[in-house]
Amino acid sequence: MKFLERFLNNMDVKLKQSPFKIFHPMFGALNTMLFTPGHGTTTGPHIRDSIDMKRFMGIVIFALIPSIFVGSYNVGAMAGVEGLFAAFMFGFLKLLPIIVVTYAVGLGWEMIFGHINGHDIHEGFLVTGILLPLTLPPTIPLWQVAVAVSFGTVIGKEVFGGTGMNLLNPALTARAFLFFTYPGNISGDSVWVAIDGFSGATPLAAAAASTGSAVDALNSAGFSLDKMFFGFIPGSIGETSTIAILIGAAILLITGVGSWRIMLATLIGAYGMALVVQFFGADAAGGMRTLPAHYHLVMGGFMFGTVFMATDPVSAAGTNIGKWIYGILIGVMVILIRVFNPAYPEGMMLAILFGNVFSPLIDHFVVQANIKRRLNYGK
Amino acid sequence: MGVYKLKKGYDIPLQGSAERRVEKAPQTTSVAVQPIDFRGLRPGMKVEPGDSVKRGSILFVDKQRPEILFRSPAAGKVREVIRGERRAIQRIIIDVGPDSSEKFESYTSSQIDSFTNEKAKSVLLNSGFWPALRQRPFSKIADLDKSPKAIFISAVDSAPLQAETSMLLEGHKKEFQLGIKLLSKLTEGKINLSVSSSTEAFFKDIEGVELHHFSGPHPAGNIGVQVHHVDRLIAGEIIWYISPRHVAQIGTVLSRGEYPGSKTYALTGSELINRHYVTAVEGALVRDLVSTPISTPKQRVISGNVLSGRKILASGYVGFYDDMITVIPELTGRRFMGWLQLGFNASSFWRLFFSKLTPKKKLAPNTDMNGEERAFVSTGEYEKVVPMDLLPVHLCKAILVEDVELMEKLGIYEVAPEDLALCSYICPSKIEFGSIIEKGVLLMEKEG
Repeated sequence: MKFLERFLNNMDVKLKQSPFKIFHPMFGALNTMLFTPGHGTTTGPHIRDSIDMKRFMGIVIFALIPSIFVGSYNVGAMAGVEGLFAAFMFGFLKLLPIIVVTYAVGLGWEMIFGHINGHDIHEGFLVTGILLPLTLPPTIPLWQVAVAVSFGTVIGKEVFGGTGMNLLNPALTARAFLFFTYPGNISGDSVWVAIDGFSGATPLAAAAASTGSAVDALNSAGFSLDKMFFGFIPGSIGETSTIAILIGAAILLITGVGSWRIMLATLIGAYGMALVVQFFGADAAGGMRTLPAHYHLVMGGFMFGTVFMATDPVSAAGTNIGKWIYGILIGVMVILIRVFNPAYPEGMMLAILFGNVFSPLIDHFVVQANIKRRLNYGK
Repeated sequence: MGVYKLKKGYDIPLQGSAERRVEKAPQTTSVAVQPIDFRGLRPGMKVEPGDSVKRGSILFVDKQRPEILFRSPAAGKVREVIRGERRAIQRIIIDVGPDSSEKFESYTSSQIDSFTNEKAKSVLLNSGFWPALRQRPFSKIADLDKSPKAIFISAVDSAPLQAETSMLLEGHKKEFQLGIKLLSKLTEGKINLSVSSSTEAFFKDIEGVELHHFSGPHPAGNIGVQVHHVDRLIAGEIIWYISPRHVAQIGTVLSRGEYPGSKTYALTGSELINRHYVTAVEGALVRDLVSTPISTPKQRVISGNVLSGRKILASGYVGFYDDMITVIPELTGRRFMGWLQLGFNASSFWRLFFSKLTPKKKLAPNTDMNGEERAFVSTGEYEKVVPMDLLPVHLCKAILVEDVELMEKLGIYEVAPEDLALCSYICPSKIEFGSIIEKGVLLMEKEG
């Protein structure tokens, strides 16, 4: 182990002076992943918390593992593969290339920008690189993944100055890019099941298209509430299983890595808005307006977005009160898009991006309120 | 009596508190008075190397305000005047010789009662303890020309391993009361004395103060936090503050007519074998106080507490405002896969390590940063350790972009680096909140 440490320390110095120094950001990330950076404090506080960004982001990836497993299995199961392990392997082999492409292309960009800006590759991308594949259908062409990751990383993040400075969630930016540039490969009825030529609508599409009660339409299509909760439905790889996402949510909440305020506020916003819509939609002939509120919570990307995307601490509102407003805004928006916009039965991605755009404004008002309290003190 | 129950904050579980017994330091070879202890001070020297001084002799004055005197805590010979960058004087070292003291006028309690504001000021200035009185904003020596809206004294020991006020003041209650009497002549406002349940008994019959009861985790004992809750600072206002130990020392000069010859320090930190309280001359050499052998590459010696104290050498001297020495292990090197550790012994505020399951277990962290600097991540955790109506991240961002107006609006006057020290401690991005606040305070001072 000492040998490896010495080798890395040597490499670190040599690489910086070599013509291959463009690889230094990548090496730096690897180097500090293998051994702690080993920097000491110079001023007070003389001791520091054991947490660092690697641990922090590592927990998010850890929380995604249930979704990866159940999602992979479901991809296989939807394609008709028999047997637990066989189905999982089938799905996992669909997911793995997407993850590999995402990491390879994304890290390449990170390396270039790390080189330009003189820092190592930051941990944020490790999460982005898993989040994006889980929001894609299993049939997505890999070259499109590469293009989307490039867009998400460069336009979504690096042009703002890199991890921590970005306005929008980079994974969602990439997905939105795919959604608007190659809609044929990420929406419609034929992309969700990994068999060529197989057509299977997602529950959201089925509910939106219903002419009578949406619940009846779902049931006749085989989408019972418990099936949707456990995730044995067509959809994006990691988004289908609500239970797996909730396990991840528990990990994020217990460790305090994910904001409970945002998760709860998004739930409240969506459920509340869905109740309102349902109340006024009771006389509707069919479609989304007839869908009971709790159905919304287990369908489409709602839960995945709530737990893993809306809570992205960089693009979410930064103040505690702001997080409530931000979460409720996303919750309300997702229902409005789902119900009133026939073009997009899935509204979560757009709702979160909408929330991202508004979060600086929300924070601005919270900060102003703090300033006002300070000015009014003693009057 | 105001009662303040603070919820926010964090007590870092640390090994190495001092046993509650006082010993006399075996020897005192040298002492130092260090101009770097006083923010923004430019000293005008009154002695040179080789000069003989008595206890209480003037060593230097504040160049801008020559009425502010700095006196020698011990008799002996000036060995050296150590200068740092741009020849700024860092410390004056005195080799301790046979004791002899300058004579001061002594006063009885009733004499002090009849003091005017001017008289009280001149007596305090002459005693050499004016520098013990500091002001907020800016945490610097109190401005002679301004009158504070109140004076604050904190007897709430919340900082990690902090010396217990009641141990430091043992046997000096009368002097403390006398000091309070003098201070009361310096302000039209109140003297706010904050106590905790452990110090309440000692201070409850002190006259001339408004008692406030603070409870809760660190930084409940910080002046900035107490001012925020008791009598918040508005732009343009100032308060003065002073430590209980200094109040007692002022009382000693007043009653005995000589400069105090000794004070009590707490020796703390996981690396010290013998941890207890020790009486020694003010500004003593660390090696003289500590019986455990220390080697500074392996151990870090801190004058003050682990959060806001200053790194010194074993051959260094305790700071003017500090009542304790903390010795902790230095960083040992790089650790394999540190971010994957289970962390049964990891010091952390976060619920990401197994040590969180044993919250009472005291730990001995070293000086490892445990990571590298990254961008701010607004997780909402910072607010959990700042018991003030303040937005730490937004304040720091305003400082980083040097937006003076916004800094003022977000409360720069209400904080000192020590008040946000826990933010630096818990920060996963390893942001130095303290240095940023320091920068902001300097900027505000410059802007006037």
